[in-house]
Amino acid sequence: MTSGFFGGDPDGLPGLPRREGVEPGGAVGQLPPAAFDARPEPYDPVLSPVRAAMADLRLRVPGVRGSVLAGVDGLLITYDLGPEAEPHDLAALAATTFGLGRQVSLVLGQSPFRDATMRNEGGYFTVYAVNSNTLLAVLGGDGLNVARLHLEARPTCNHLAGLLAL
Amino acid sequence: MSNNLDIALKSTMNIEGAFAVALVDYTSGMTLGTLGGGPDFDITVAAAGNTDVVRAKLRTIEMLGLGEPIEDILITLDSQYHLIRPLHSRTGHGLFLYVALAKARANLALARHQLRQIEVSLEL
Repeated sequence: MTSGFFGGDPDGLPGLPRREGVEPGGAVGQLPPAAFDARPEPYDPVLSPVRAAMADLRLRVPGVRGSVLAGVDGLLITYDLGPEAEPHDLAALAATTFGLGRQVSLVLGQSPFRDATMRNEGGYFTVYAVNSNTLLAVLGGDGLNVARLHLEARPTCNHLAGLLAL
Repeated sequence: MSNNLDIALKSTMNIEGAFAVALVDYTSGMTLGTLGGGPDFDITVAAAGNTDVVRAKLRTIEMLGLGEPIEDILITLDSQYHLIRPLHSRTGHGLFLYVALAKARANLALARHQLRQIEVSLEL
């Protein structure tokens, strides 16, 4: 009797069907509910090393207009961007792009999602997975050297993942 | 098309002293094809970096008002030559051929001559 109903099997009661399973390849794109309230404001000084890393990427790669860091839920974490774009919109676009990319990676068995690039007549929009619930979206002009961006953004994402884990 | 590209890359690799070649789109820095290179010579890094070299030189020529195309760009290191040849054919516009040569084994004049011929034969 001491084991009770909830003791023993940590995955739930045996024999019952489960409608919400863990996705193959791990819980990619699942944001813990507590993270919403715990999230600092975009200008929080805690995030200044993050903004510095994003500014560094912009200065290293010619053609980069700026970047935003967003959750997979489309909510803005912080940004390094001029007045030409609205950071909250870019955060939402990043999550939309990620949604498609994640679906593709899951269906094709290539998960987790890594990056996605939108090439438009007037420029680039590239979304990188920083960790399982954070995205880096980079806005680039038409003259962007996108191969160079891919080379430079990967170490930046790893650095950002390290900063966010602190 | 890709057959022709492969032949061009192999011909470039056959230039005496060549150890890495790439055909690069300098509007994006992405490669259309590469041969050679290795862990100590990342050809995609070379392609992306030399895209900036080509762009800077094209912009300089434009600012100087010279109105002439680049035939090739030579960068000389202690032990290597790096040759960059922007393509001027209608289908090759916006691309450049890049080859890294070991200085000790390469004949620069011959390499430039062969690269010119490869450009002529390359129809994408």
